[in-house]
Amino acid sequence: MYRIRIHGRGGQGIKMASRVLGTALFRSGFTVQDAPKYGAERRGAPIFSTVRAAREAAEGATIKERGVIHRPDLVVIADDTLLAVPAAGTLQGITAATVVLVNSRETAATWRHRLNLAATLLILPATEEARDRAELPHIGATCAGAAACLLGVIEPAALQAAIEEELAPLGKEVVATNSDSALAAFDAMAAHRGLVTEGTAVSATDYIPPSWVELPVDDASVAAPDIRAIANSVQVRTGLWRTLRPVIDYDLCGKCWWVCSSLCPDSAIAVEQDIPVIDYDHCKGCMICVGVCPPHAIGSVPEYLAQQQEQQAKSPGEHDGRDPADR
Amino acid sequence: MSDIIRRMKDLPSTHLLGTGTPMCSGCGALEALHQIYDVLGEKTVFVNAAGCMTLLSAYPFTPFRGSWLYTAMASAPAGAQGVRDALDILLQQGRLPSADDLQVVVLTGDGSAYGMGMSATSGALDRDLDFIYICYDNEGYGNTGQQYSSATPHGAATATSRGSRGYPGYKKDLFSIWAAHRPSYVATVIGSEPLDLAKKIEKARDMKGPRMIIALSPCPTGWDYDPRDSVEIGKLAVKTGVWPLKEYVNGQVVHTRIPRERPPVQDYLRRQGRFSHLFQAGQEPSLVDDIQQRVDDYWKEVV
Repeated sequence: MYRIRIHGRGGQGIKMASRVLGTALFRSGFTVQDAPKYGAERRGAPIFSTVRAAREAAEGATIKERGVIHRPDLVVIADDTLLAVPAAGTLQGITAATVVLVNSRETAATWRHRLNLAATLLILPATEEARDRAELPHIGATCAGAAACLLGVIEPAALQAAIEEELAPLGKEVVATNSDSALAAFDAMAAHRGLVTEGTAVSATDYIPPSWVELPVDDASVAAPDIRAIANSVQVRTGLWRTLRPVIDYDLCGKCWWVCSSLCPDSAIAVEQDIPVIDYDHCKGCMICVGVCPPHAIGSVPEYLAQQQEQQAKSPGEHDGRDPADR
Repeated sequence: MSDIIRRMKDLPSTHLLGTGTPMCSGCGALEALHQIYDVLGEKTVFVNAAGCMTLLSAYPFTPFRGSWLYTAMASAPAGAQGVRDALDILLQQGRLPSADDLQVVVLTGDGSAYGMGMSATSGALDRDLDFIYICYDNEGYGNTGQQYSSATPHGAATATSRGSRGYPGYKKDLFSIWAAHRPSYVATVIGSEPLDLAKKIEKARDMKGPRMIIALSPCPTGWDYDPRDSVEIGKLAVKTGVWPLKEYVNGQVVHTRIPRERPPVQDYLRRQGRFSHLFQAGQEPSLVDDIQQRVDDYWKEVV
């Protein structure tokens, strides 16, 4: 059985990618299960979807596994900024047998150096540059197309038929552009066709527990989260959803805090001595403040650039935005 | 919290609702709720029917500073009755000082308010329950993928109205249905008009009896537009006359904003993916005309 996990951000078409891949596998004679992660599907938020596919003849017509895939054979990462976000769980359960495909502007050598994984790591070159990563064009279809080729059991015709079937309600134009993207990605992976190997059946008896460190058990008042604490949602850092960052130019700021601070849905603009201050730990990057600011004092910066600049500011000279492997 | 809000500068500068909620980026409902909460204050207990806002208090986290009760989709007003009764008994027995009394606030989406929770609401209004009801209206069952509800506007595409003409029904007039029960207060608000909202919530806060608020909540996910446009689309809803800002108080309906020069409704519709099929080549223009006509007819009655 193939076990595939596709990671991305809400809005990139990750659920669509799993549906297309699932349908293409079904059309190629497999029994298929595909599902998106439920409950966190918010634009910009880290999400994933899963596909399981079993050969009917070999394993019967049922897939008895359910839920999250813990031992993936193929992991597709549509947005490489997620690799730095532990909560996204992109690297969970990766072994030497796993193929990891990363959509990135950087090289495979860079990611091998950064991640130090035993797995086979491939790059899906990011051809189109999107300022806002939540709007990477057709990235869902691109991921599905590349994955289909890596599996080696899907013909291009089945891939195309799957896209037509899944995207038909969105109109012919959407079907055409997505199938172009998917087929281009399929061709781009031709050198690695069939690289992914099927994982073996898992059972409770050969379950290998993760290696963890035993910690002393604290008293319940310390160990359990205090559900009576007020407004403890601030512990959740929704700032990692952000793909664009609003930045206030205080030279232009008119101190009319009641505009941006009232209209920010997330209460993420505090008012400190009549000056609005953006809370980047929680700002989700909706950019409402950018549009409503009367003196146009709030600009937008792609989040990955803002983070690079922060890194440089922290240690000037040491980091030039590139990894040592690239120099 | 006893200051009277007259102008933008009087709006609360301290935000009480915690950050870090799982609501979508650019959520129009959260925008309205945080403004409402800033005015209502901490002495509130929220009774929440199933919906998007259920996710606010997902164990172990909550953005609220007080208690929160989760009910089934149709029974939030019944839950509010229980909470109010419990508070009243504690007050009567002297176990709760009157200074520590809480405002009971129902929070539901339009699926509950316009549809399956309507009977429980009607009952609560019959009993003259002392509570505030906040409906965040994003015109569909947003949390489950935007299926149509009885708040969905005519012609809008939803997950369950995908045809070329969109949703065939018309948005239910919940304001009038609630006002017909003669409660203490009914008002429509929207997060993109914070001053109008704050004035109404302040008024409602200081009243007794049932106080009903409907907040139109632009929804980037369900209405299909970029999250940054939430405020602009909200303002257009008011300017074009699609969302009248009004209140019912002392048996009278008063419009708090009468747009004299209304831009055509298509300025509002075109900004949203859920109406894009109305403007495709080959579509009969009568659908947009119908929507415009209904808005015009509404304001003819008002002015």
